[in-house]
Amino acid sequence: MATVKVKVDGREVVVEKGTNMIEAGKKAGVLVPSFCYHPGLPVVGVCRICLCEVEGRPKLVAGCATPVEEGMHVITRSAKVREARRAVMEFLLIHHPLDCPMCDKGGECTLQDYTIMMGPAHSRFEFEKTTWPEEDVGGKLILNKNRCILCLRCVNLCKEVAGEDEIAVLGRGEETYIGTVAGRKITNELAGNIADICPVGALTSKDFRFRARPWELQPVPSVCTLCSKGCNTSVGYHPRRNEIVRITARENMDVNQWWICDRGRGGFHPVHAPDRLTAPAGRNGTPGSAPTSWKGATAAIALSLRAILTRHGQTSVGVVASAELTNEECFLTRSIFRDTLGIPNLDFPARPQPPVVYKQFTIEGDQNPNTRGARAIGIAPGPQGLGLADMMRAAAEGGIHALIFLRGGPLDRFGDPAIVARALAQVELLVVVDSHPSPVSERAHWILPGVSFAEREGTYTNSKGRVQRARKVFTVRGDTREDWRILQDLGRALGAWTTDDLGPEQIFQRLALAHPAFSGLNYTVLGEMGAPLAAAKADVAVG
Amino acid sequence: MSANGRVLMATVDLPGSHTLDVYRKHGGYEALATALSKQPDEIIDVVKRSGLRGRGGAGFPTGTKWGFVPKSTEKPKYMCVNADESEPGAFKDRLLCAKDPHQVLEGTLIGSYAIGARRAYIYIRGEFAEEARILQAAIDEARAAGLVGKNILKSGYDCEVTIYLGAGAYICGEETGLIESIEGKRGEPRLKPPFPALVGLFGCPTVVNNVETLACVPHIVKRGWEWFAAIGPERNTGPKLYGLSGHVNRPGVYEAPMGIPLRTLIDEYGGGVPGGRPIKGVIPGGASCPVLTGEEIDIPMDFDSLTRAGSLFGTGTPVVMDDTTCMVRAAWITARFFAHESCGQCTPCREGCGWLQRLLWKIETGNGVERDLDVLLSVTDQIEGNTICALGDAAAWPARGFAKKYRDEFLRHIREKRCPIGSGSLH
Repeated sequence: MATVKVKVDGREVVVEKGTNMIEAGKKAGVLVPSFCYHPGLPVVGVCRICLCEVEGRPKLVAGCATPVEEGMHVITRSAKVREARRAVMEFLLIHHPLDCPMCDKGGECTLQDYTIMMGPAHSRFEFEKTTWPEEDVGGKLILNKNRCILCLRCVNLCKEVAGEDEIAVLGRGEETYIGTVAGRKITNELAGNIADICPVGALTSKDFRFRARPWELQPVPSVCTLCSKGCNTSVGYHPRRNEIVRITARENMDVNQWWICDRGRGGFHPVHAPDRLTAPAGRNGTPGSAPTSWKGATAAIALSLRAILTRHGQTSVGVVASAELTNEECFLTRSIFRDTLGIPNLDFPARPQPPVVYKQFTIEGDQNPNTRGARAIGIAPGPQGLGLADMMRAAAEGGIHALIFLRGGPLDRFGDPAIVARALAQVELLVVVDSHPSPVSERAHWILPGVSFAEREGTYTNSKGRVQRARKVFTVRGDTREDWRILQDLGRALGAWTTDDLGPEQIFQRLALAHPAFSGLNYTVLGEMGAPLAAAKADVAVG
Repeated sequence: MSANGRVLMATVDLPGSHTLDVYRKHGGYEALATALSKQPDEIIDVVKRSGLRGRGGAGFPTGTKWGFVPKSTEKPKYMCVNADESEPGAFKDRLLCAKDPHQVLEGTLIGSYAIGARRAYIYIRGEFAEEARILQAAIDEARAAGLVGKNILKSGYDCEVTIYLGAGAYICGEETGLIESIEGKRGEPRLKPPFPALVGLFGCPTVVNNVETLACVPHIVKRGWEWFAAIGPERNTGPKLYGLSGHVNRPGVYEAPMGIPLRTLIDEYGGGVPGGRPIKGVIPGGASCPVLTGEEIDIPMDFDSLTRAGSLFGTGTPVVMDDTTCMVRAAWITARFFAHESCGQCTPCREGCGWLQRLLWKIETGNGVERDLDVLLSVTDQIEGNTICALGDAAAWPARGFAKKYRDEFLRHIREKRCPIGSGSLH
């Protein structure tokens, strides 16, 4: 890698050849302001706020479009640069509505930040401002052209990342505007990123509009659990309302760069679904479930299960785990049911779908966030154990007397729906741990309310073998428990887990000792950006 | 030199001047034959030595521009002829396209040969539909005569010439805007570097030359660089077309050497100002050039002299304004043009041009205050030098020029709260 040594405002810094002034400035600890520049998008050089002076050159240059050269001295703190920035700020604001108090971007708006930092406090523009009506452009976005500064990030995101020409720059001169082409709407599933990268409040998310002010939110680093890509996200938690109000992309160059898909962006809605399972329930052979206590439910389940194990043996129980569970929970599942209780029938359903391939971003086909982790930990049939399809068949035919589902779902997820329905009706004991009701939980004898990704701490191993942490964001109202706690409770009631409650971090330590693929990993090593499995170190590549 | 002493306009008055027959009768395409018998480098060298500077406004040395095109590249190279003549006041290229298309074509072919291009595009503004038709007929005629297409004049050199009609944007006359437009994109100038000589049309090395620039080339090849370099002042050589308009008795396109005094051009070629009225100002080279006052017009019409005088030679097309002209209104009309033609891509030009236009209209309509004049000058400072292309400068310079040189007239508008001159006659 060829490098060049340059100075930015007198600070010497060595950067890769071809680095622009904005990035060189970043490295030197100097802010070169920018609106249109985004490291993940083509350089357009249109906003002109990044104008820099180069020692010995008469004209200012655009910092985004100018690579630094050996020995170059970039100056950003001169009167000339200050004046140019002030000019650009004044120009950008002449038609801007200055409606920050009611703008969703207020508080995280680059234009607002720069205005406070360096903009003129007064405008000398005394004419009527150009105004445009608000417009629904599809992609769950509302376009407010009054606030638009024409940085073209939205256009280039659609063009370069999604590969779609759904939004374009139209008109010319001061009547230039961003719009959808010929009445079309944005339909690509990456459109939500536009709301993230719009440096002003021109394109805002319909989902987030008027729901909260950015400064009220506590961002919690998380990982999307809607496919096996494992996009890094930031969950916007509203502490006062105890509510998640949005999910935005979190940069991770090894996984999702700066982007997430709109499915993941909307991934917090199910967390607040009104039909969440919020209390343990049992129905004891009668239709309709009655609430019960955790203690009562676990004890009753353990009693039935023990009886079945004694009467029919270990092969009479089937455990349908899930690759939606965290690595920690997969580890507990395997330890308790397969290794300690000796139940060989252990499996999890695959959830394949066609992947959605965009120009620079793929939404993966595997809908499970932790397939790779579940496999590495051994969520699979033991010796002479049955796989999922055989388990369902055996249960339908009376060979299996108890089924434990660690996540429910539609019947066809677990095999031929007719067979699955028969299996669920047939067994003496059907236990379902889940956060949401499903055709499986509707048939359960015991429902144990687990929680969503946002209410528990844990790690997921993505399709490339990268282990990443998702932090606990909050606790939903109700009598739910984290799945890792439920598993330990059950294990203890069954006499298969003798330790006190371990937290996710401690469970992960045990997991790393037990499974060589995870060796060397712990929560500190994983950090905010995750780390590859030992076995995956070679094939974890960018993207 | 022809009987009428003209070079570029030698035959334009003849009937059928646009035909191959007439062009050949007067020595047409002899230069092409000569050029094809030489090495491309020799042609570039001759053009360099001739001192020919681009006639599109910037005055960049043509031979030097050709020399920037890399010799060793796998990529195809392109010649683009800029016939997007759209600046208010400029109409000289139109005459060449209509009356002597073969001269333009011969220059294009020689230029293409010199840079190693096998395809040339003539980008002509959409409003020049008739000129485009004439050019196309000339290309067809030339192709039939073996002058365009495969194996030109049996030299083994191939060159296709394609006409591309613009869609009405001044900005497409900016060379990279022109390239974008040919590529089928919005006419928006590109960030430079890279310059077109390295990364131009379709990402390949490209030269963009003005129509008149290329029309000079056959004459340089035929008569030698020494002949060309001997015309006009030092560093500003050659014959030149001057498009004279505004308050003159005989507006039109005239050929004269570079460096002809502006007053001579107005008085002798243009027949002076109607009614012998005094000249209040002259925009020397198209709307982007800062205005000269009536006292400043004893000046040679060439690149260096006008730059020294704080204005620009531009395309060498003076607009003469007599004392009935309202300079605020003239400034507003100019500003309105640039605001309308700004591509809208970069902030200072997009926002600044509209602001200038509003300020000037405010003053012209008697609603201005003195502060507006300061804001006006400050806005021009804020645009200049901060934009992607020169359109921003082109809008800022004339506004500043008018406001500074006719400050008293601007102030009269403000104090009298009306236009003291009347609506003027420049619309």
